[in-house]
Amino acid sequence: MKIYSCCGKESITKKYFCSECGKSEFEEKEVSDSGTVYSFTKIHIAPAEFADIAPYNVVLVDLDEADAKVTTRIEEDVKIGDKVNLDRIENDAYIYKRVS
Amino acid sequence: MTNVYVHGIGMTKFGTLTSSLKELLLEASAEALIDAGRPKIDAVFVGNFMGGSIANQEILGAIVANELGLGYIPSTKVEGACASGGIAFRQGLLGIMSGEYETVLVAGVEKMKHATTPDVTQAINAAMDTTTNEKYAGLTFPGFFGVLANRYFHETGATKEHLARVALKNRQNAVNNPLAQFVKPASLEEIMGARMITDPLGLFDCSPMTDGASAIVISRKKSPIHVKASSQVSGPTKMQDAANLLSLPAIGESGRLAYEKAGVGPEDIDVVEIHDCFSMTEIIATEELGFFNPLEGWKAIEEGRTQVTGDKPVNTSGGLLSRGHPIGATGIAQIYQLVRQLRGNAANQLEKTPRLALAQNLGGTGSYSTVHILERV
Repeated sequence: MKIYSCCGKESITKKYFCSECGKSEFEEKEVSDSGTVYSFTKIHIAPAEFADIAPYNVVLVDLDEADAKVTTRIEEDVKIGDKVNLDRIENDAYIYKRVS
Repeated sequence: MTNVYVHGIGMTKFGTLTSSLKELLLEASAEALIDAGRPKIDAVFVGNFMGGSIANQEILGAIVANELGLGYIPSTKVEGACASGGIAFRQGLLGIMSGEYETVLVAGVEKMKHATTPDVTQAINAAMDTTTNEKYAGLTFPGFFGVLANRYFHETGATKEHLARVALKNRQNAVNNPLAQFVKPASLEEIMGARMITDPLGLFDCSPMTDGASAIVISRKKSPIHVKASSQVSGPTKMQDAANLLSLPAIGESGRLAYEKAGVGPEDIDVVEIHDCFSMTEIIATEELGFFNPLEGWKAIEEGRTQVTGDKPVNTSGGLLSRGHPIGATGIAQIYQLVRQLRGNAANQLEKTPRLALAQNLGGTGSYSTVHILERV
C-alpha cells in the first residue's frame, strides 16, 4: 500500500496541497497491506450498483505500518481488533480477508 | 450579531405527498410570505439536493420568483447535500449583511418518495466523494454512520439501546407535531427489533425518505426574533481520512464559531434542533456542540437530558428521524421549529418559553455543517 505523508499526517490518498504547510511535495513510501479492523458495518440496504452483493461488510482497516486507515470490503464477518490482509483489488475496491 | 431578523415562516406537512416538487416549494414559500405580512422580497435562495437527479427539476429559484410574483429579482438554488437548507439560509443572511438586500425569502424543498429506495440511495451517495476506493468498496452514506456507531460502542458503554432511545425520544416528539412524517407512536422493543439497514443501525435509526418544503422570510427590519450568529465550515469528505472517526470536526468547529460570534456558550442554549440523520449522529452532535463531554452523549440519553422536559431539549420537532428529512428542506425546517419555540407556539412547546435556540445542519458524512443561533429579543 502506498502512503503519502506530510507534516506528520499519513494517508493512502494524495491531496493537492498539505493542509498544514500548503506544499505539494508529499513523501511517498510503500508499506505492508496488513492491518487491524478498526470498525465495520454490514450493509443490508445497498445502492443500485451494489444491490446484487448485499448484504456485504464494509470495514475500516487501520494499517499496521502507517498512521493511516483504508476502507475495504471483506466477505466474511469480522470484529474490531481482527487481523486482516489484502486479498485482491477488484473494480478499484480493496478486498481484504481475515488472517487466520 | 447579524442584525437580521425572522419575519415569517412556512412549512408543508412532511411525508408521502401527492404534491409536486414545485407545488411543495410554492406552498411553504407563500405561507412564509403571508406570515411575514407580504413584504417586498429582494432575493430568493432555495436549498435543494436532488431536484435534478430524482425529480428532473432545476431553476427552483426562478420558479419561486415567477410563480409568487416577486418580480425581476435575483434567485439562486443552493446545494450542500443535507445541509442545503442551512447553507441557503446563511446565503440569505450574508446577502442582507452585505447591504445588497433588505428582505430575503429562503426556502428548502425535496421530493423523494416517488423514487425507488435503490435509486434514492444511489442519488444520496452523490453526497460522498464518489471517485474513491471507499465508494468502490460499497460504502454508503448510512454505512459511514454504522461504522462510526460500532466503534463508538467499542470505546464507550453505549449499546444499540442508547441509539434506540434517541429514536424513541424523537418519535415521541413527532407524535405531537402535526406536520411530522411519523405521528404513530413506536415502542422501544419495536425500534430495537426493526430490520437492519446497516449494522448496527436499524430502520428507526435512519432518517426516512420524505417529501416536503419549508420557508422563512428574513430582513434587516427588526422583529422579535434575531439571528444572533451564523457559521459554516467544511470537514473531511472521506471516512478513511478522519483523524478521529468519533469526532465530526465540521460540527464542532461550526459550533465553536457560532458561540464565539454570538458571545454565548453551549450552557446558554435553551432549545436545540440538530441533524439526527441517524440516531448515532444526534449523540455525536450533542458532544461536538459542547452540550455533553466527548464520548458521553449516550449517558445524557440514558438520563433523559435531551427530552422535552430535560435540561437540554434536542429535536422537539421529532428531528430528521421522525419529523422527516426532505433533504433540502431540513435546514429550514429546523429553524421553523425553533422560531415557533421562541414565539411560544411550537409542537412540544417548552414550559418556559426559550430565549436562545440553536440549529445545526449537517451535509454529507461531515462534509458541511452550519450552525445558527436565534434569540428572542
